[in-house]
Amino acid sequence: MMPRWLRWAILALVMIFLIGPFFVIAAAALHGGETLAFPPKDLTLKWVWKVFEVESFRASFGLSILLAIGGTALALVLGVPAAYALDRFRPKGSEAIRLMVTAPIIVPGIIVGLALLRYLVIPVDLPMIAALFVAHTALLIPYAVRVVSASLANLRVDIEEAAVLLGCSRIGAFVRVTLPNIKSGIFAAFILGFVTSFNQVPISLFLAGPGVSTLPIDMLWFMEFTYDPSVAALSALLALMSMAVVLVAERLLGFSRYV
Amino acid sequence: MNKLLGPALTLPAVTFIAVGFVLPVLILLSEAVTVNGAFSLSPLIGFFRDPGSVEVFWRTIRLSGLVTLTSAVVGYATALAIVDSSPSARGRLIGTLILPLMVSPVARTYAWVVVLGRTGLVNLVVVGLGLSPEPLRLLFTETAVFIGLVQLLLPLMVLSLVSALENIPADVVPAARVLGAGWFTTFFKVTLPLTREGLVIGGTLVFTGALTAYITPAILGGSKVLMLETLLYQRIRVTNDIAAAGVIAIILVVLSITANVLLKRVAGGRSQ
Repeated sequence: MMPRWLRWAILALVMIFLIGPFFVIAAAALHGGETLAFPPKDLTLKWVWKVFEVESFRASFGLSILLAIGGTALALVLGVPAAYALDRFRPKGSEAIRLMVTAPIIVPGIIVGLALLRYLVIPVDLPMIAALFVAHTALLIPYAVRVVSASLANLRVDIEEAAVLLGCSRIGAFVRVTLPNIKSGIFAAFILGFVTSFNQVPISLFLAGPGVSTLPIDMLWFMEFTYDPSVAALSALLALMSMAVVLVAERLLGFSRYV
Repeated sequence: MNKLLGPALTLPAVTFIAVGFVLPVLILLSEAVTVNGAFSLSPLIGFFRDPGSVEVFWRTIRLSGLVTLTSAVVGYATALAIVDSSPSARGRLIGTLILPLMVSPVARTYAWVVVLGRTGLVNLVVVGLGLSPEPLRLLFTETAVFIGLVQLLLPLMVLSLVSALENIPADVVPAARVLGAGWFTTFFKVTLPLTREGLVIGGTLVFTGALTAYITPAILGGSKVLMLETLLYQRIRVTNDIAAAGVIAIILVVLSITANVLLKRVAGGRSQ
């Protein structure tokens, strides 16, 4: 037990350090001048509007959303059966399979992006978008497997066996008994995957070029030659968006249990 | 039937990762030990002979270590404070820790440009109080990268320490106090050993996170404060030096895998 004042002091300082910068950036986004400044003067929303007017942001935002939804969906389609098999059948070489499906988390993303560019995109003449899709899906499979495995581990095997004994087919039992019971786990995996893909930078670094870019990569380029508060405005908008997604997910299913 | 069904269900995921991930990465790593298709250690030797590269290598290790150490100390104090709070406050505090983790690291890091920049918050205070006649140069320094990395990774440490602290049986600490142990003795003899696992897990997450960070050094360090990932990017984009990229890739992979294996050893040692 620590003294009350000390507890409050620690929590206040750490929370200011972690959350404070978001308020600073939101304030800087409203600055009326042409450069970044804090505190803001002559409050304006013009930088927020400017963000919506930048053509490339619209395109890269669309691609990021597409990758996040498509990549997570495919990762779940591949990951749910794998998680199910690992949990229920414990096939030969389980350990090796588990290692394989968690490998994408351990290997730094920048290496994956470069490797795909060199040995998949260039030799096979694969379009960049397809490579981005492969890279994001591979990265998300470990999350899908982990979160779904956790839900499966909490589910009793016998209810599924009971369904089979009562005349349900194996697949029928999975779809009608198991799947409904792990759906909040799958939903949590989807949110986690979506956020992970949407915010991902290193893996996309080498797979993005002019015309094909994800939003965070586009932001990095934009920052290099833009010093006005529009980047702050975009950052603030992104922060608000992610926070909204997380808060809704938390309300609906207690998302933080799965992170 | 189950004998076939098990592998069959894992096959699509395993194949996808093997072809779309493991294979290309292995080829890239092999670039570090080949010259014109024959085995050679000269790319590796070349990297460690180049003073600039070696400096980046040690800076990456040093910064990652420092970030891990700082996160451990600050994270421990925070985790203790959170566990001491009422259950409802605890839930809300944990929610507040998870929130920044879900926000784009580009946005999170850019916030520090506003805070540390020439006309930023820190310089406003420093110049306003007359501590320095002109704004300090804080961006593009190791300090800026350090601050950015701690903010990025500290929540991971706190979260794993909170769950470790929650797993300590409720009466152990009061028992130690009743038996006459002071706060420090209780902490170092009871709490710390019982949460070693959480500390190692958090430490591994933070260390590998710092090691493989790209965005933070790119935005807050620039080309003045390169780390291994930003160096790799530069080697490819500026000089298209695939051998050097392969060497950096091997270093990163070896360090990450070592950290993860150590983590599994320590974390698995007790639960099994």
